[in-house]
Amino acid sequence: MNKYILSKKTVVNDLATFYSFLIGLFIAFFIGSLILLIQDQNPANVFSLMLKLSVGSINSLSSSLNKAIPLILAGLGISIMNSVKLWNIGAEGQIFLGAIAVNLIYININISNSSLFIVILLASGFIGGAVCILFPAITKVIFGVNEIITTLLTNYIIIGLTIYLVNGPWKDPKSLNFPAAAYVGEEVYLPTIFGKLSSGFLVCILFVIGAYYLKEKSVFGYEMRIAGGSAMTAIYAGINAKQKAFYAMLIGGGFAGLAGAIELLSQTHRVSTGISQGFGYTAIIVAAITGMRPVGIFLVGCLFGALTIGGAVIQTIGVSSYIAEIIQASTLIGALIAQFFFTYEIKGVQDG
Amino acid sequence: MNHKILEAKNISKSFGKIQALDDVNFHLYKGKIHGLLGENGAGKSSLMNILSGIYQPEKGSIIFDGDKQKKINPESAARLGIGMVHQEFRLIENFSIKDNLTLSKANIYIDDFEDAFKKYSEIFSLTVNQNTLISELSVGEKQKIEIIKLIFNNNNIMLLDEPTAVLTPQETNQLKNSLETLSNEDEKTIVFITHKLKEIKEFTETIFVMKNGQMVAEDLETASVSDKDLITLMMGEINTAVVEKNNEKGEVKLEVENISLETDAGGFNNLNDINLSIKAGEILGIAGVSGNGQVELANIVSGIQSNFDGKITIKGQDVTEKGVRARKKLNLSYIPENRLGVGLAPGVSILDNSVVREYFSASYGPHLSKNKMVNYLNLLVKEFSIKTGEPKAEISTLSGGNMQKLLMGRELISNPEVIVAAQPTRGLDVSAVETLHELIVDQRNKGSAIMLISEDLDELFKLSDRIIVLYEGKIIKEFEINEANTNNVGLAMAGVIE
Repeated sequence: MNKYILSKKTVVNDLATFYSFLIGLFIAFFIGSLILLIQDQNPANVFSLMLKLSVGSINSLSSSLNKAIPLILAGLGISIMNSVKLWNIGAEGQIFLGAIAVNLIYININISNSSLFIVILLASGFIGGAVCILFPAITKVIFGVNEIITTLLTNYIIIGLTIYLVNGPWKDPKSLNFPAAAYVGEEVYLPTIFGKLSSGFLVCILFVIGAYYLKEKSVFGYEMRIAGGSAMTAIYAGINAKQKAFYAMLIGGGFAGLAGAIELLSQTHRVSTGISQGFGYTAIIVAAITGMRPVGIFLVGCLFGALTIGGAVIQTIGVSSYIAEIIQASTLIGALIAQFFFTYEIKGVQDG
Repeated sequence: MNHKILEAKNISKSFGKIQALDDVNFHLYKGKIHGLLGENGAGKSSLMNILSGIYQPEKGSIIFDGDKQKKINPESAARLGIGMVHQEFRLIENFSIKDNLTLSKANIYIDDFEDAFKKYSEIFSLTVNQNTLISELSVGEKQKIEIIKLIFNNNNIMLLDEPTAVLTPQETNQLKNSLETLSNEDEKTIVFITHKLKEIKEFTETIFVMKNGQMVAEDLETASVSDKDLITLMMGEINTAVVEKNNEKGEVKLEVENISLETDAGGFNNLNDINLSIKAGEILGIAGVSGNGQVELANIVSGIQSNFDGKITIKGQDVTEKGVRARKKLNLSYIPENRLGVGLAPGVSILDNSVVREYFSASYGPHLSKNKMVNYLNLLVKEFSIKTGEPKAEISTLSGGNMQKLLMGRELISNPEVIVAAQPTRGLDVSAVETLHELIVDQRNKGSAIMLISEDLDELFKLSDRIIVLYEGKIIKEFEINEANTNNVGLAMAGVIE
């Protein structure tokens, strides 16, 4: 009797992740087209409009790239944590706490040199994100508590904290009952490079390079890989696996916190519940599609930023903006399925 | 009384290239306790899995009570009343005892559960309530529930795979009495599998011995067979290939004094007052059935295990409090028993795995030089003729032999002065074994002090200058290589001191 088993391929094509992504994207646009057809829309028209309004002009392109910044930074954080085989579902909360940290420092400290002040505020955002993941990191390392649960639940705490702050102590009396903190001063706005593109994008590129170096070229990255592969091998090699996991989590949280800081200083300019529109969750999709590769995260982040902007503008012709989210989510599912078939093959074997 | 209830004839079974069972005959008498003796990997569990229908044999037939069975699968085995207690328990941890016992539709005590449970609780000296969750039981108690489960499911043939491996001596004694009661009063047919000589003689009425997938002795009357005969059957003849032993010894490189370790796991996986020393140019063989403290000893010497009593000295330096890195700096290498999982990290590339020992020497501060890593890997590949694919391919794409060559090469290339090698050739083919043995002897000739832990007596006799036998965490006996033979080492491994 023959039966079939899945077996891991010994040789996996280097570009498998990229091909999977393209297949995923194709599937996503196919599904998106079907939904548009059901709604009596011409998919070609809608998609070309999306394209035009997301990258067709300096303004739209820069908006798209601005949207990409938090996706990329949070995605990088997720990717760094994944080096030790840990999942960060808490990027959303870390983005919020990063922004909260920025505002906390901003209202308590005053530095006249605005460039220096901006740098300090960005650093506060990073630290805020790291603080946000501190509790999951400690419970992971000491008690082995599943970080997926703790980072996810931390999101709700932080969003609760944000609601409390903007309705309570930080409530801006001038906001006409809209729950938001006061605007930060223009002296700490991130300057724009061209169009509306925030200089946060340059910071973002810097951190892409940094994450790539950390993961691929540094001793720390190597130690994370070994610890992620097998905790016992790490101990055998004299690598403190728990310490690596702890640092990886703090750095991962920090990246997302920085995203919150940039979002605050370049887009919203004040703390409110609108600091993040689910960037922390979309970043998981971005990181997963790219197989956790920093450069891939940068490229797919930019694409997803454009999709978000494109999705927002097609509302003007009566198409729901959710079409963009459907495309993003279907890309992930399609890419993961395609990735599976690049990594595994089905083999017939003799029974037993 | 000598009624053959179950017979297996000419059973063969292979897994991939490994012939697990080769033309094996086996038979059971109704109401008797049968012993099945053999080393790890002799084929005992495979045979039992065939009788209980979990594996299908490639050749051979099974005859139940005179009727040839077409095919034994788990359903038909249950119908015939053949049940097995596996080494890993198959109980549902968060169900109660009662739920576990009555789970199967084969259960025969539906209305009179209470009475039956009471009766067998007494036979097994079990003092827990039927509503207790399995997860709250001790290992010994779970074992008892597993056996009672067989009875409740109306299994008259009970295959017990190493049931004493997890028991304390007192529990083992209790189990013996319980099994005798089952055999005498309920006419249960029992197979008791073990690699412990002492137990097989105490528990059973008739003994079968397996070696390398073959049944080497059938139906030996327990009362009249000697320990020596059993050992010879179980271990087989020693391959006489021996390497040159008159290597010049130097000063003591590794000294282990009064090492004791207590683990909370119970059983014998702890160490009791171990003393040994190894000189430069010497191979000390550590013999013993697995689970008698070898892994713990290796981990303590290499620095992985801390929190032990005693003292470790490497090259005259007290390293008791030192970690893995400090010991590596003193030029100690450790080739762990578990190559994929400890020695090598699964899911990580060949390149990354090749530098686990020396990766800090490929670094400039926080920067890791890929060039240096690749050069190092290429050196290993060349020196140790490793057949490897792309450096960035996963380690598991290598064959077992090449994986072990990579691991050994990585640990030996820096010419370590102290080497701990645990089961360095287990599961490898003959040519790989030969190459790896040459490497070990080579290293000895270069003046390394080598601790060679192995369950393979051929290997120990071939390579060692001295042999120490570990039994239940103690050094039960020490031999110069010219005094050692299969008999005395084998008996010591079984815990028998002449």
